[in-house]
Amino acid sequence: MPLHILIILVVGGIGLIAVLTHLLGLSRPMRLTSEDEARSAWLRGWPEDTLTAIHIAPDGAAALIETDHGPGIVFSMGADSTAHRLDGAEIRETPGGLRILFHDFAAPRLDVALDPAARAHWQQILSERP
Amino acid sequence: MTGDLTFPDVVQYAVPFFIAAILVELLWITLKGKGGRYETRDAVTSLIMGAGNVASGIALGFIAWGFFMVLWDVTPLDLGSSWWVVALCFVLDDLRYYWVHRFGHRIRWVWASHVNHHSSQHYNLTTALRQTWTYTFTFMMVVRAPLILLGFHPAMVLFVGGLNLIYQFWIHTEAIGKLPRWVEAIMNTPSHHRAHHGRNARYLDCNYAGVFIVWDKLFGTFVPELDEDRVDYGLVHNLGTFNPLRVAFHEWVGIFKDMTQRGLTLRERLMYAVAPPGWSHDGSRQTSEGIKASHLQRHPEDRGTPGFD
Repeated sequence: MPLHILIILVVGGIGLIAVLTHLLGLSRPMRLTSEDEARSAWLRGWPEDTLTAIHIAPDGAAALIETDHGPGIVFSMGADSTAHRLDGAEIRETPGGLRILFHDFAAPRLDVALDPAARAHWQQILSERP
Repeated sequence: MTGDLTFPDVVQYAVPFFIAAILVELLWITLKGKGGRYETRDAVTSLIMGAGNVASGIALGFIAWGFFMVLWDVTPLDLGSSWWVVALCFVLDDLRYYWVHRFGHRIRWVWASHVNHHSSQHYNLTTALRQTWTYTFTFMMVVRAPLILLGFHPAMVLFVGGLNLIYQFWIHTEAIGKLPRWVEAIMNTPSHHRAHHGRNARYLDCNYAGVFIVWDKLFGTFVPELDEDRVDYGLVHNLGTFNPLRVAFHEWVGIFKDMTQRGLTLRERLMYAVAPPGWSHDGSRQTSEGIKASHLQRHPEDRGTPGFD
């Protein structure tokens, strides 16, 4: 197949499928709406952990999870979620909340929208990390 | 007999079919409200990975081709190109695929290339196209060497490999349940391959087949998809990015970081590259065996059931 035809097909195909899925409402991100959901999402990644506290961000896009192995964050990955421990992570304050730098090539960073009170609470918990 | 043998690049010709089939599956799921899930960024990442795979094949394919042609010059055997030779080549290449795929899950160096195919939490036809950009660097082309030394022309070997890849496209779907028993017994099917993509402890490291599931039954790696243990797709620890560059290279970066830690012996550094994924020098991580053992501690009732034999 001539290369230019292949390129047109591939680029056109990706564009078409992207537009179609978006128009069908399939870009909506997952939101954590309850502690049970956040617990299930965390245990999906770390089934051996014992959870001691769950703090869901106001927009539901992430939750701070306290466990017997230390704190972690479970957050929206498209329509699904992913759970990451915070060993070695760097926490920065932003105008809208917190930025978490995982120092992990497979999970570079996460911005969590938090009001000032929630941000202070999360920072207090995170500052007590071993 | 087959000095200048040529075959079409079937994967490139299949691209319009891939796009059409994805659109049909998407439409089916939308209209029926069942049969799988799509998410925009996940699908786009998968498709970009597929495009990158084709591009890497165009850019780096000469390495494998050059290696195969050296072998072809060396071998005194030439089986020709009759239909039964092509058919035999297809079957033997599927056996080759089984072992490369098994190595891809059991040797971290090869897993670094293959992991991206498992990095979607979805299972639909776009997932089939979420293919590696770095296969050349695994050196797994050596597993094809016996075929060429036996007298199968390199062009034929690549042709049947392309057919194998195209076969595997349609099995990446939740829209098809279980097929008739005789099909499920012999062929790799959507059901068998869904189990392969599971991150559930039960389904780790099973069903490596490309076309014929008989290889898994022969070599003891077959696990059926069970209604009572619904497949959860993705990686044991799922990625936190849709960036295709990070998807393509994250495990290679992980290997590099692990191998260059301070205070390791030479053996430990090497093991970070060649041991099964999850191996660590201090036991702080789990391989699939460790994950299965931990699962059985929490769920002893699963002992002896498929995947926990």
